[in-house]
Amino acid sequence: MVYIRKDVSTLTVAERRRFVNALLTIKKRGEYDEFVRIHIDHYVSDGEGGLRSAHMTPSFLPWHRRFLLDLETALRRVDPAVTVPYWDWTRDRATTAVPWTKDLLGGNGRRSDHQVTTGPFAYATGDWTIRENVTDGEFLTRDLGRAGSPIALPTASDVETALRDPVYDVAPWDSTVARGFRNRLEGWGSGSGSAAWRNHNRVHRWVGGAMLSGASVNDPVFWLHHAFVDLLWTRWQSRHREHRYLPAGPPGPGSSQYRRVVARHEKLPPWDMTPSQLDDVSRIYRYA
Amino acid sequence: MAVSVDGVPVSTVPADTATPTATARSGPVRRARRRDLLRGLFGASAALAMTPVVAASRPPRPAPGGPAAFSFDETYRGRRIRGALTSWGPAAEAGAEWEVTVDGRPLHLMRRADGTWLSMVDHYRSYATPREAVRAAVDELGPGERLREDGPAHHTYTGGHHGLHP
Repeated sequence: MVYIRKDVSTLTVAERRRFVNALLTIKKRGEYDEFVRIHIDHYVSDGEGGLRSAHMTPSFLPWHRRFLLDLETALRRVDPAVTVPYWDWTRDRATTAVPWTKDLLGGNGRRSDHQVTTGPFAYATGDWTIRENVTDGEFLTRDLGRAGSPIALPTASDVETALRDPVYDVAPWDSTVARGFRNRLEGWGSGSGSAAWRNHNRVHRWVGGAMLSGASVNDPVFWLHHAFVDLLWTRWQSRHREHRYLPAGPPGPGSSQYRRVVARHEKLPPWDMTPSQLDDVSRIYRYA
Repeated sequence: MAVSVDGVPVSTVPADTATPTATARSGPVRRARRRDLLRGLFGASAALAMTPVVAASRPPRPAPGGPAAFSFDETYRGRRIRGALTSWGPAAEAGAEWEVTVDGRPLHLMRRADGTWLSMVDHYRSYATPREAVRAAVDELGPGERLREDGPAHHTYTGGHHGLHP
């Protein structure tokens, strides 16, 4: 039975409550922290050796698609009615509107230390103590819009630029490529100007705090953000039906990317699944 | 200065001051170093794997830009930040490894293919130099917030291929 992932701004009061409760339940059971660890462990940068499965790589999209499915499965074990909502940051752009409300993710961090003090994920609730972190901080932090040096969320036109590119990805399949849908959406640029962080990366930066770090999964907005990124991939797929995930085959021994990226039919660590098998999710879920 | 980390000689670049980081290396830092070595040893290229040992056999070359290009030790926004280039490789890629601390605690830096640097604290953009990456990480730390003593939670990646290729 295909389930629906909804725009977070359309959730009913009951749907919001059930989504939050499912998150708090898997956090209490210790399952949530495992997701934080998996994300940290699979962050391999492209200036270093080794296989990149999650970032700076073609499989950025299928990796996070499967990661979301795993989280969603855990949530649906708690409450079968729950699905992961998406946050369309091209439309819901205010720091006080959805999803930053008290009955959903809570609001911005306070000025002094960026601690989130409102909503279900505030430290004082005792329900959301951060255990897997880069720092010794135990509370969730946010700095929406980066008050110190403000940046804006990506716009619909930024997203359109990515969607328009018919090619999924191009060699050398890393953070330096200037073409291809994958990196236009993942958002690695060059230099230190505003173009240096786009779309996906820019949203991590706009939320700030925990979302900026390697332990970004600690902020539940991670899932709403990546559900929207995943939605954009489905839009790209339906717009460019003749195009597919690249590379189709693994780069050879002469390539700088030999054994460093996951080709279409290769296993995508840590799962026993290939990007090709994650191409079509229409029998699992769809976006409303 | 050469120190032995788990039997593997490693050269450390003398900072412009004395280097208690190297002489009084704590357990966690040693582990971080070993992890970096493992990453090199299991990396894609045998040449890269040899880097730490080769580097140990010769004094560090002066880097373009003078001493600041291979070490720094300063107070930035009330935090002591230190960094030292610990190994050099023949290739630009993964050719340099930096050991970096904020108030004595290790900050894991990663290198991008374009030669820029990002840290575990600020993971979705990169900076031209390790020092800029560390300063940017300090910018993100709240008052009293410190890096974990044992480095990032579980960054145990060793550059293996997870059985992807035979």
